[in-house]
Amino acid sequence: MWQFLGDVIQKTLAGFGERLVAFGPNLLAMAAILLGGVLAAGAVRLVFRFLLPRLGFDRFAQRLGLTLVLQKGGITQPASQAAATLLAWGVLAVFVLLAIGALNLEFAMDLVSRAFSYLPQVLIAMALLALGALVSAFVRRSVLVAAVNAGLPSARLLAGGAQTALMILFTAMALEHLGVGRQILLVSFTILFGGVVLALSLAFGLGGRHLAREFLERLVRPASAPEDDNLRHL
Amino acid sequence: MNAPVRLPAAVEGRLAALGEVDILVGIPSFNNARTIGHVVRAAAAGLAKHFPGARAAIVNSDGGSRDGTAEVVAGAEFSPATILVAHPLSPVHKIVTPYDGIPGKGSALRSIFAIAERLKARACAVVDSDLRSITPEWIELLVGPVLHQEFDFVAPMYLRHKYDGTITNSIVYPLTRALYGREVRQPIGGDFGFSGRIASHYLKQPVWESNVARFGIDIWMTTTAVAGGFRVCQSFLGAKIHDAKDPGADLAGMFVQVVSSVFDLMNTYRERWPQVQGAESVPLFGFPHGVGLEPVPVNTERMLGVFRQAARDLREIWQRALDEPTLAELDAIAAGPAAGFRFPDRLWVRLVYDFATAYHRRVMAADQLLGSMVPLYLGRTASFVLQTADSGPDEVEVAIRNLADEFVAQKPHLLQRWSQGR
Repeated sequence: MWQFLGDVIQKTLAGFGERLVAFGPNLLAMAAILLGGVLAAGAVRLVFRFLLPRLGFDRFAQRLGLTLVLQKGGITQPASQAAATLLAWGVLAVFVLLAIGALNLEFAMDLVSRAFSYLPQVLIAMALLALGALVSAFVRRSVLVAAVNAGLPSARLLAGGAQTALMILFTAMALEHLGVGRQILLVSFTILFGGVVLALSLAFGLGGRHLAREFLERLVRPASAPEDDNLRHL
Repeated sequence: MNAPVRLPAAVEGRLAALGEVDILVGIPSFNNARTIGHVVRAAAAGLAKHFPGARAAIVNSDGGSRDGTAEVVAGAEFSPATILVAHPLSPVHKIVTPYDGIPGKGSALRSIFAIAERLKARACAVVDSDLRSITPEWIELLVGPVLHQEFDFVAPMYLRHKYDGTITNSIVYPLTRALYGREVRQPIGGDFGFSGRIASHYLKQPVWESNVARFGIDIWMTTTAVAGGFRVCQSFLGAKIHDAKDPGADLAGMFVQVVSSVFDLMNTYRERWPQVQGAESVPLFGFPHGVGLEPVPVNTERMLGVFRQAARDLREIWQRALDEPTLAELDAIAAGPAAGFRFPDRLWVRLVYDFATAYHRRVMAADQLLGSMVPLYLGRTASFVLQTADSGPDEVEVAIRNLADEFVAQKPHLLQRWSQGR
């Protein structure tokens, strides 16, 4: 009996030892790749933190309105540092996938293969979000300036609304690209957008019917100069 | 390289038949049937009275009017008997042509320059089509210095109401004077005399797809003449009275077009204006006199409302161009009471220079940057109106001159910002 148990334990240990000997190099390779990834990510972060400000990236980001978007998202560091950190995380993510692949396990290989085939979708979605941030910030500024010059008291609200609507649109496009809950997304967006338009129509029609009438009258009748202001600017 | 100006075949035929002229008067128009007849008759009378032996043409460059402007021009008849001339008169030829290119005054003038070059005109004048105060003498005063004294560019000088031409008085005149050192009081007056030589020079410049094709044309013509070393003078034309202004005219659009043209020209002549110090007068023709002017009602409350709202809402844009002390000063005056509201000359000049530098550095889209400057301009204009409410024309002119001197005094600040950045 005791001999039988001893044989089983010995065989088990021997089997584990064999598997460990066979699998050990993979583990070591994974650890080495992870270490390399951490070092590479750190190096990328350092290099880009040094290079980007010197290449005028912060001024470029400010011009595009990216800095403002980052600030609104609670990121107070300069855009160049944020970009360097993002790049470093990207590099680390790639090394993590490679490290998992180094285990040479079936599920790990499958995971790596799926992750790499999904990567282009992720990159396109990120590009869409970045483009959305830029376009919506640009539109926000244009609407804000136009609304203030027109003397509209709710200029900030209008500008913020335009920016939010555009960001929702771009986010929906990005999620659609990632294939995340397509139907739910489509239905949610349709309900939200339709609801906003309906609410605005009701608000304008009920709350501002006099304003609506004036607006329509201005559209169909020739305008006349306001009597209290006849300033020629040129 | 500019594409050649396209003219309709019928106009080409008229030009071929005409051959050459001594004088050309150009009138850009768009839906000005109500006033253009008077302008054409005044121009024809001026040519007949003051240049009776000269071969002359009047060119109407039209932007597709639908109110019968072209028919009014064609039918505007002038009777020589009304001006008592004893000389034999050369006929004045009238040419009506639609213009090609971006819709705007600049494109209309481009066609006029092209026709002037084709007809080898020695002297030209352009006058606005909505003028109610033009007289035949304007043609002599705009064309005479070119034809008889060999000047290349004649800028107008008018008597205007103290609240008329506020973009001119608060930005364009004082800034142009400080930059290029020549005293041209109405650089965007709209009515100019010029030589055939400078018309050909204008035509060659690659600017016809920019704001120069629109409201920027006037300042571009003046600055090109002043900074390009052409012989420049002014002629006193008397009162300038327009037809009632277009209520749909978009101030922000007009402001952006004019100011961006001024700032673009700063870049074009960036080698020249830093060398200029002070300002000198240019020869003045005509006989300055006083006349009564129509009152100009102004709603300062609305202007101040826009300025105050902008101080709350546009700070994020302004801080791309202005430093913190300037922003703090703007906050302080925006928070002050309407009675006694003042926008100091020093602050205004500083922020105009800072916006010029920000525009040069392209800190953001030009339309947004300069659009955000409109409320500041309205605040400054409201201050000017309140400050000069009880002032006569001479006192107002002194105030404008003081502002112009402040632009000269702060030019080192502009130079520093332009060359070094913030």
